[in-house]
Amino acid sequence: MIKSEPKSILQFMASHYDLLRELFDIQVKNDIITKESLIICLENYDKDIQEQLTEYQILVEQNDDFAFNEPYFVLFEFIHQKFKPLLPEEIEHFGQAIRTLFLKIKEGINDDKNILLERIEALSNQIKKFTNAVVNNTKSLLTESKELKANNKKIDYQEKIHKARYLIENYISPLNTILDVNHSQSIYNELLNVSQFTNVKRFDYADESIRREFEKLYHLLRQVAKDLNLQSVTLTNELLPLIERIKTESQYLRGFHYYLTNGNCYKEIEPPRIFVSTRDNIYNKFVYENTKEYFDQFQHEEDIIVVEDSEQTNDWLFDKSKYKETLNQNLPIDDFFKWCEHSIKEENEDFSFDNFFMVTSLLFEEDYEVSVSKVGKSVSISNENSELIMPKLTIKKQEDVSR
Amino acid sequence: MYPDKHKEIVTSLMEGKFITVEDLSYETINKNEDFYITFFEKSFGFELIGNLDFYYLVSNETNENTSRDISIFFSVLCYELDKDGKNFLEELNYSEFHIDEIIEYFKNSSWTDVIKANKQLNNDENLKRHIGTMVKRNIAVKQGNDRYSFTKAHKLFIDFAKDLIKDEKSETKV
Repeated sequence: MIKSEPKSILQFMASHYDLLRELFDIQVKNDIITKESLIICLENYDKDIQEQLTEYQILVEQNDDFAFNEPYFVLFEFIHQKFKPLLPEEIEHFGQAIRTLFLKIKEGINDDKNILLERIEALSNQIKKFTNAVVNNTKSLLTESKELKANNKKIDYQEKIHKARYLIENYISPLNTILDVNHSQSIYNELLNVSQFTNVKRFDYADESIRREFEKLYHLLRQVAKDLNLQSVTLTNELLPLIERIKTESQYLRGFHYYLTNGNCYKEIEPPRIFVSTRDNIYNKFVYENTKEYFDQFQHEEDIIVVEDSEQTNDWLFDKSKYKETLNQNLPIDDFFKWCEHSIKEENEDFSFDNFFMVTSLLFEEDYEVSVSKVGKSVSISNENSELIMPKLTIKKQEDVSR
Repeated sequence: MYPDKHKEIVTSLMEGKFITVEDLSYETINKNEDFYITFFEKSFGFELIGNLDFYYLVSNETNENTSRDISIFFSVLCYELDKDGKNFLEELNYSEFHIDEIIEYFKNSSWTDVIKANKQLNNDENLKRHIGTMVKRNIAVKQGNDRYSFTKAHKLFIDFAKDLIKDEKSETKV
């Protein structure tokens, strides 16, 4: 029993509103206000009001901790429009009560008048509670979904999807079923049945006071039908599309996440094919980007490793000084090209013409004078593959000439 | 004999540009789609790909690095936009972004490893140049004052990422 005046209690609540609001938030978050958190809160506000809080039964003790007394908690939820969503099972509980009471009313329609009156009144109460529960649930689910969409808490997308899925599976889909006019077992359809029955009874029931109760119930049901319809519209037009958007975005986000995770994007996943432009003019306004793009192609290419050919090849090297020395010793020479052939054959019987021409380059050294031989016009030089017809050249030392 | 804007269409596509539904020439290709498919196939051996949003050419060669850079760019940007509470699908379709805003998203991104490893995205200057590459291909449009918007061509790169997990059994189905 509360000894204090109701007005004093309300004044007390107004004076200490900020503290009470914080305690309310603690309970919403943790379902309980621990003794420690109550003490910290009282100290923070520098208030010594624990005694009044329990005297006015705003807080009730739960073992060593505290919790808001139910009527105050509901009041706070209502004035802050911050409702904890009810589980469908909790809402269904009202539906069950409505079904049972309606059945009893139909079965006992001709029974005792008083019990019939009380059942009609109880049915009205349950319908009001049910409607409130649905309205509050839609509101809180919409708020939660919007917060989730806006991602105020900057949570990772996986957690976001998890929360969205949780809301859909446990709250939104079942609420949709409860309000679904096409679902034969929905509470909404049950209320329509009650409404039809009441509409008949408000005219044809013999007793006037009962008729009046049915009349009141009928008007309540008309209002409820409007309210529930509004909730259903909110659900269809706002809540479900919002969730649908979270769902679509999440499909993309899962893709991005997969693509970027562990550097997958640099591994086997091939990006979309795009065109390689082939022609570019220096005055093209995108010439920088084009050139850069061209060179970028090769940036990620694997290193090219040149493996040495293990087979030894006999590369012949032209030792110019050695050949020149030999040439000098043999000067003058009547047939230069034949001399070249002999010299190279001494070193390598299977010579190539490339090798041969390297030796013939001695011809262009400044030390020699070259003239075409008068005896015999040409000589033949041959190897395995082909034959060269060369002029017969005589070669002497320059100094021999001067002498 | 040839449709209007023929030269513009051929030049743009051959430069590797996307022609998107926002462009006037989109309608011309759309009306003469069969002609252009055959034209590019017979003349150059290129494939013209089109949908409700854009047309583009592909050949046997593909510029894999540029395409990868663009795909990573959109994946990171969308991820960060979402973290910022924005609807990235709408943002990419309808919003303009200041270059500094984009740079900021990349600086604060949690995908640091991916960004650091990418030579087009790893610092402010490279990022700016990368956006220049996207402008060149008509994936982004410069709106002046260092502001950029994205054409419908961005969808190629974000749908690609979405489709990566299309075939997976959706145990995370929402």
